[in-house]
Amino acid sequence: MISQKEKNKIYQQKVQSLSNTEQKIIQREFENRIHSECAAYLNTCAHCGLCADSCHYYLTSEEPENMPAYKLSLVTKVFKKNFDVFGKKFPKLTGAEPLNKKNIEEWIDVLFGRCTLCGRCTINCTMGINIPYLIRAARGALASAGLVPPGLQSTVDTAVDKGNNMGISKEDWLETIEWLEDELKEEVGDPKAALPVDRKNSRLLYTINPREAMFFPLSISAVGKIFFDAKESWTFSSKNFDVTNYGLYSGDDTAAGLISERLIKSLYQLRCKELILAECGHGFNSNRWEAPEWLDLKYDFQVKSILEVIYQYIKKGRIKLNPELNPAPVTLHDPCNLVRLGGIIEYQRYILKKSVKNFVEMVPNREKNYCCGGGGGQLAMTRFAERRIEAGKIKSQQIKETGAKIVATPCHNCIDQLMELNKHYKLGVQIRTISEIVADAIV
Amino acid sequence: MVTWLKYGVILSVFFSFFLLIYLITKTFSFGTKELNSQPSGNRKKGVMFAFGRGMMPWEKESAKKHLLTYGAGIIYHSGIFSAFLLLLLDLFSVKAPSLLNSLFIVFMTSALVCGIGLLLKRSLFKSMRSISSPDDFISNILVNSFLLISVIHFFVIPIKIPLYSAGIILFMYIPIGKIRHCFFFFYSRILFGSFFGRRGVYPLPRTSSQK
Repeated sequence: MISQKEKNKIYQQKVQSLSNTEQKIIQREFENRIHSECAAYLNTCAHCGLCADSCHYYLTSEEPENMPAYKLSLVTKVFKKNFDVFGKKFPKLTGAEPLNKKNIEEWIDVLFGRCTLCGRCTINCTMGINIPYLIRAARGALASAGLVPPGLQSTVDTAVDKGNNMGISKEDWLETIEWLEDELKEEVGDPKAALPVDRKNSRLLYTINPREAMFFPLSISAVGKIFFDAKESWTFSSKNFDVTNYGLYSGDDTAAGLISERLIKSLYQLRCKELILAECGHGFNSNRWEAPEWLDLKYDFQVKSILEVIYQYIKKGRIKLNPELNPAPVTLHDPCNLVRLGGIIEYQRYILKKSVKNFVEMVPNREKNYCCGGGGGQLAMTRFAERRIEAGKIKSQQIKETGAKIVATPCHNCIDQLMELNKHYKLGVQIRTISEIVADAIV
Repeated sequence: MVTWLKYGVILSVFFSFFLLIYLITKTFSFGTKELNSQPSGNRKKGVMFAFGRGMMPWEKESAKKHLLTYGAGIIYHSGIFSAFLLLLLDLFSVKAPSLLNSLFIVFMTSALVCGIGLLLKRSLFKSMRSISSPDDFISNILVNSFLLISVIHFFVIPIKIPLYSAGIILFMYIPIGKIRHCFFFFYSRILFGSFFGRRGVYPLPRTSSQK
């Protein structure tokens, strides 16, 4: 087994000894990724620089490389050199540059190491350029030559090879479910309470972030309790239960499509009606919005966030909540992939207002929220960990200003990052999922 | 000489227009993709938001934080379009109504000041220089020169030869450099509105507006 440090060393050597053929592969994949939307965006940037302080990286460290416009310019210059008639003729004038070793190294450092693909720059761009979309295209080009930073690539590989990103075996998964089910029965005082696995013809197929099974089992039992209380017909899959998809971050559409396709196969095999995604920002964006494009497939079933399901339960009175059971002040962190890029904006607010006594909004919030720094695959790329923690300072300040004791967030990547920020910036808060809070408020 | 330059301006406008059309056509030639995911919002409403409320400083943090630059940008563009319109009227020997003329004086002189300000900002700040290529400076200087000559010609003393020459150079340069964004802006903004509208992010209901 090769250690992460060794993997990083091998990777560095690979980057430095990049052959012409590999450079051509990247170039070709980059060309494949360009379609009319990309080309329009790449012709639009006026370099006004107004996007700079919409980025949490730039706000915490004013290096030019942290400006979204700078990140975009790395992609634009290669585009101009290859596709723009004037960029080809007047490269010095237009800043066009070929994709060479120097540029590739900068792409890796900047496009992987200084961006969480959160999309905050897009909503603040005067032109509306979808910068993360273009950065992901460039990441995908690097992925084609095996240049995704090792930590992130390992996560994708594990998901592809083992069926989930933490490599949990079927036996371990079933064992975890078994003991969680015993605990659930005890908690609700009903021997009929269950965490069903592979139950055919259930209405919902529920997925989890494998980190829940490994480190946060309480969030699984919380959802189990909610489903039980709502008398829902639902099931887990014994084989494909992973909501995450790091292919979204590596830019590898083939791997991303393969990972998402498994959930669909399970849904059909178990004859479920809806695919319900756990509290996972990028998992939602991947499976709800991107997977149909990766797979070039129109779904004949619904894909929903668990938040939409819980919202309906409360609205229809299928679960009864007492906010007095959660008396501590709670604030909400909006995961970028779920909110700004996913459109799940008000459900979590409605749910929290019904579940806690004192709900405090962060400012700014909703689609204008700041990224916590945990997205974009940053948590998997140890080489950029220092920057990640530094970039999280903005989120830490936001949390402090609310005075909340609990930070609720419907995303396990965000939870991991917020837990690190909590420790590093001494925030003294508790980080929880929405389901955990709802489960505590059930009467 | 003036007549030749006049024709030169008209030709350069056509040159610019057709080249911009070519660039747009080329952009579409990369292929569009029909989306498969089921929308949860409304594309059209998103596009309307993108061109309306979504441009306002109270909706866009970058504009709110940089009101001066944002305002300068708006004035700059208003002045440029005013100068283009006056040039067009001049080419066909049409006199603008005096009220419109007075309005244009304000737009164009303010635009010139803003243009110089934006050029200074780009030159003096390291962060701005890092995202700039020679094209950014040339574009700004060409536009500023055109504005200056237009202000002199229309409101101080007629200088047709420099005005038409500046016009020809500017129109010829538009598709070459970054000024082409004036065309692509609309396409990108439509894409922006479609993306966020389709995903149900924009327009946000007014009741959920932020503190």
